[in-house]
Amino acid sequence: MIAAISWRNVWRTKLRSLVIIMAIAIGLTGGVLSVGVFNGLAEQKMRTAIDTQTAHIQIHKKGFTDDYDIHYFLENPDKIVAAIEKDKRIKSFSTRTISELMIRTANGSAGVQLLGINPEAEKSISTIWESVVDGAYFEGIKRNPILISQKTAEKLKVKVKSKIILSMLDGDGNAVDAGFRVVGIFKTSSSMFDEATAFVRQGDLQRLTLMKGVNHEITIKVTDLEEVSPVIASLKSNLPDDLQIESWKEVQPELAYISDMTGQMNFLFLGIILFALAFGILNTMLMAIFERIKEIGVLMAVGMNKFKIFMMIVFETIFLALIGGFIGIVISAILMLWLGNQGINLSVVGEGLAAYGVGQILYPQLSGAFYFQLILMVFFTAIFSSIYPAFKALKLKPVEAIHG
Amino acid sequence: MSIIQLKNISKIYNPDTIPVYALDKVNLEIQEGEFTAIVGPSGSGKTTLLNMLGGLDLPSEGKILINNTDLQSLSSKQLIDFRLYNIGFVFQDYSLLPVLTAKENVEFIMQLQNRSKAEYEKRAIELLDEVGLGERIHNRPSKLSGGQQQRVAVARALATKPKFILADEPTANLDSKSTNDLLDIMKKMNKESNITFIFATHDQRVIDKARRVITIDDGAIIKDEINTSVA
Repeated sequence: MIAAISWRNVWRTKLRSLVIIMAIAIGLTGGVLSVGVFNGLAEQKMRTAIDTQTAHIQIHKKGFTDDYDIHYFLENPDKIVAAIEKDKRIKSFSTRTISELMIRTANGSAGVQLLGINPEAEKSISTIWESVVDGAYFEGIKRNPILISQKTAEKLKVKVKSKIILSMLDGDGNAVDAGFRVVGIFKTSSSMFDEATAFVRQGDLQRLTLMKGVNHEITIKVTDLEEVSPVIASLKSNLPDDLQIESWKEVQPELAYISDMTGQMNFLFLGIILFALAFGILNTMLMAIFERIKEIGVLMAVGMNKFKIFMMIVFETIFLALIGGFIGIVISAILMLWLGNQGINLSVVGEGLAAYGVGQILYPQLSGAFYFQLILMVFFTAIFSSIYPAFKALKLKPVEAIHG
Repeated sequence: MSIIQLKNISKIYNPDTIPVYALDKVNLEIQEGEFTAIVGPSGSGKTTLLNMLGGLDLPSEGKILINNTDLQSLSSKQLIDFRLYNIGFVFQDYSLLPVLTAKENVEFIMQLQNRSKAEYEKRAIELLDEVGLGERIHNRPSKLSGGQQQRVAVARALATKPKFILADEPTANLDSKSTNDLLDIMKKMNKESNITFIFATHDQRVIDKARRVITIDDGAIIKDEINTSVA
């Protein structure tokens, strides 16, 4: 009966209850949408980085990533590949030869990291082939084709089939200039990656640097993100110690930081919203208590004990908050579902987003577990909001309260 | 048999500055089955006395025994339970819970006593029948007249099977017909079930039906008489 009274008390002053319910619902909807957007940003940045740059796991010779010195190459790559091929949790892999060099044209120059790739194998670990906006992915030009980014193309004022010169050092330390022809122009959602990266065929780079068969990097994709750590542990135990086997989080620590921080920031952000809403709920409940001083006094007089009075107020507050919370969560879940499919077109801030490493269409996303955690947060907010009004009610003396 | 004994009780406000005696050395005994009216002008101490009898307030001096229990010896939690099981209250403004129906208002107080559902449902219907509201059990207070609401309040007060019922100006907001109906119901219960009623009232219609009339003024009982014309 206590819960029934509390429930009906919620609807005694319909307008007041509806106002705070809507405040909770709107506040939560706004909060959830914002969190969804933050999550979407972080998730897209992470996915973009994994799909175009890091894959899930990278293997280098220790010391290579310090200066990208081409002499730190993988020794016995066949042994590494054999270990990779044995592991069923590994979905795909690709080898890369890497060189840092200058691209020159008559119009200017640009420093890039040149990735020598096997175009077909690269398709299984990177989506760069899907990011080609002009020309083709290593098709149509037989001799020394190069894939450059739109940013680089604009900077160097070149088009598909334009000739460019790559200036690099070979394995013996001699300067080498080589002519390449632009086979395709790509554009990913990360402008920083685009500015700094170009792709050629692995064989071409190995030939020019006099490093035939040399691999600097093996990139791996696993079947499930959860498998990254176990696969790394397994590879480390099976491969020599001079190898640096790293997860995407280690390759790009800022991604891990963003991923971890986003979760914490989201809860902090929602916590602040709920904390503010808690005062709205508290105020509503205090008004309700002040209006019912006489009624509470009568209940105390006729023999309702303090615990039951306390619970009556706590229940009422919980109902109020949960109704608002439920409406807010339903509205935001529907919006999230819709926006998650449709995406939000943020082309007006497209450049900023590209610099951050995400596309112009943002897909907000939230996990089911998040909603469960949110319900718990609303519940505890309600309890927090109810404590002061409930204690206020308990302080009433029936002999005074029954006379209003 | 005495169910209430007030022994030399005083209620003093501002004892350290300018003491005000709301009650001054009052002695009173009330027997089981009495139908008693406490009368007196406003500010005479009627309500203070009623609060003492109801265990809502404790005296500054003296002793209150209800059914031989010294109220001052009880903790506040025990006092709440004591009221629940021993005292029925009827208030001037009915004081029903507006969100509950007539039946639920009566049932609710029995639930506080942890009675079984079957028991409180049966007793609530019986009591509402007894006060003439058998047809209105599912109405909320807002759908009942003042007289009907006060009858629900009487049924609620009786529901816990208390030792006595305290009624503070129960007819103050009622018209003549409702007052007479209500008093007839209470008188009937008093006669047939030997239920003790104690009223604080100004209403002559109540005073006329009371067997015993206690007059209080300036915090002291100045008259205590039996109305022999009342059966």
